[in-house]
Amino acid sequence: MADFFAGVDIGSTMTKVAIMDGGIVASVIGPTGPEHRKLANKVMGEALAKAGLSFDEITYVVATGYGRINVPFADKQITEISCHARGIGSLLPAARTVIDIGGQDSKGIKLKDGRVVDFVMNDKCAAGTGRYLEVIAEALGVALDEIGRRSLEAEREVAISSTCTVFAEQEVVSRLAEGIPVEDLLAGIHKAIATRVYGMVNRLKIEREVAITGGGAKNIGLVKALEAKLGFQVLVPPEPLLTGAIGAALLGRDIVEEAVQSGLSLTRSERRLREATFFS
Amino acid sequence: MVHVAGVDIGAAFSKVVVFDGSKVISYYIAPSSGSYKDTAERVVAEALAKAGLSAGDIAFTMATGYGAANVAARDGVASNISCQGRGVGYLFPSVRTVVDVGGQLTKVLKLDDEGRVRAFLQSERCAAGSGKVLQVIARVLQVDMEEIGALSLKSRKRIDFNTGCAVFAETEAVSRVAEGAAKEDILAGLHRALAAKIQTLVERVRLEPDCALVGGGARDIGLVKSIEEVMGLKLLVPEEPRIVAALGAALIAEEKVTSTMKINIG
Repeated sequence: MADFFAGVDIGSTMTKVAIMDGGIVASVIGPTGPEHRKLANKVMGEALAKAGLSFDEITYVVATGYGRINVPFADKQITEISCHARGIGSLLPAARTVIDIGGQDSKGIKLKDGRVVDFVMNDKCAAGTGRYLEVIAEALGVALDEIGRRSLEAEREVAISSTCTVFAEQEVVSRLAEGIPVEDLLAGIHKAIATRVYGMVNRLKIEREVAITGGGAKNIGLVKALEAKLGFQVLVPPEPLLTGAIGAALLGRDIVEEAVQSGLSLTRSERRLREATFFS
Repeated sequence: MVHVAGVDIGAAFSKVVVFDGSKVISYYIAPSSGSYKDTAERVVAEALAKAGLSAGDIAFTMATGYGAANVAARDGVASNISCQGRGVGYLFPSVRTVVDVGGQLTKVLKLDDEGRVRAFLQSERCAAGSGKVLQVIARVLQVDMEEIGALSLKSRKRIDFNTGCAVFAETEAVSRVAEGAAKEDILAGLHRALAAKIQTLVERVRLEPDCALVGGGARDIGLVKSIEEVMGLKLLVPEEPRIVAALGAALIAEEKVTSTMKINIG
């Protein structure tokens, strides 16, 4: 019988689950709501249903993300930095630098031989995170999943002078009133966020290859703007939102394999799984 | 009697003071809407009308602020910082530190005994360090900006914010409201967070008493009390804290006129 491992990544904006054996068996992505615990149970249930598995068939569950302590059925909590690194190490082994642009934070991770050697993070200021794009998209009346593509249609990029999200919002609204096309403003906005993220991550001295993960990687305008800043092409995993959850599942597998190799029994983890109140 | 005018065209508000050498005879405040040029023309006309004067009665008009170059009637332009210092020095000669909380920026000025600006610092362009964060949260709470101060003082259980960012604070305020938190407790937490940011800024130039609070933020009694609590001192607040730079501009204008008169006479 194959061993199955689950990774549950509760981010500030999105919750992700990946169930893996050798590859991905099933995955679920949904918005993070106010009640993390209920949500963790719900998305795990969905992922299990998709995989056609019962909870008892999962060998090990690792939770990550900012809501990771709210996953009552997890065997272990691991930071998103480690999980992202592990996920990228498996998905894009050539990557030495990871730029993760999440809903309410952004991170840079430097990897060497699949291990984290350094990282940098911004969760203090909305500028440079997905939230910035969300605020601007709303102000301009463009759907969030459209802004990237629209930014690439710009005839000329308008420089955005404000860093702060609140002031940038004001700025685009008044520039829009002056008759500047939405596309030109969006090009400026994507350049601004790319500049900010690049400035932060480059404190680690960016090395090729560079992988982009998180919701920001699904924005083609942002990916192009980052590439322009870097001067070379970046790597993007097939489903960038799942990177942390995949890494979490793989770290779970590593833990179990190590335990097996060192001759430790897995009884303890099996007991914990049975005790989980997941189906109640 | 010589009449002079100070015109401060700010990013959000424009203010005019008409001064007669010993007292303010009129002032006028209006939002900077449409073009700065039209705004400037309108506010100057209103202030003159209130003073019962015509443009010809004004010996010197000193412009200042973000949109100073748009004041058609100007005889000169002075920096906002020196106007602010001059205005505060005139109102409160004992003041050595001035905190100006505006709609977009917070500034700290250190004054010497003559009211000259010795040092000056402004907040990064971040909404969390200025009056902007108050506007953002007031909107979420559906409270009028004029009311947030008094409401905040009613708080019995301040709810502290976990973030320094105005955008994240907005989200946090929404969640707290959903959890049933009282508006006054959220506002008290917000005032405390802003006061702490302002204190950090003030400390960078070293606080020296007395300290005055000016700008639109000074009209918010909740913010005034919070800053007093955090900094452990009593603030001096002008009756109309928004016109201090315009007053300073008028004072500099008056000085120009009297010094010119001295030269002519003598």
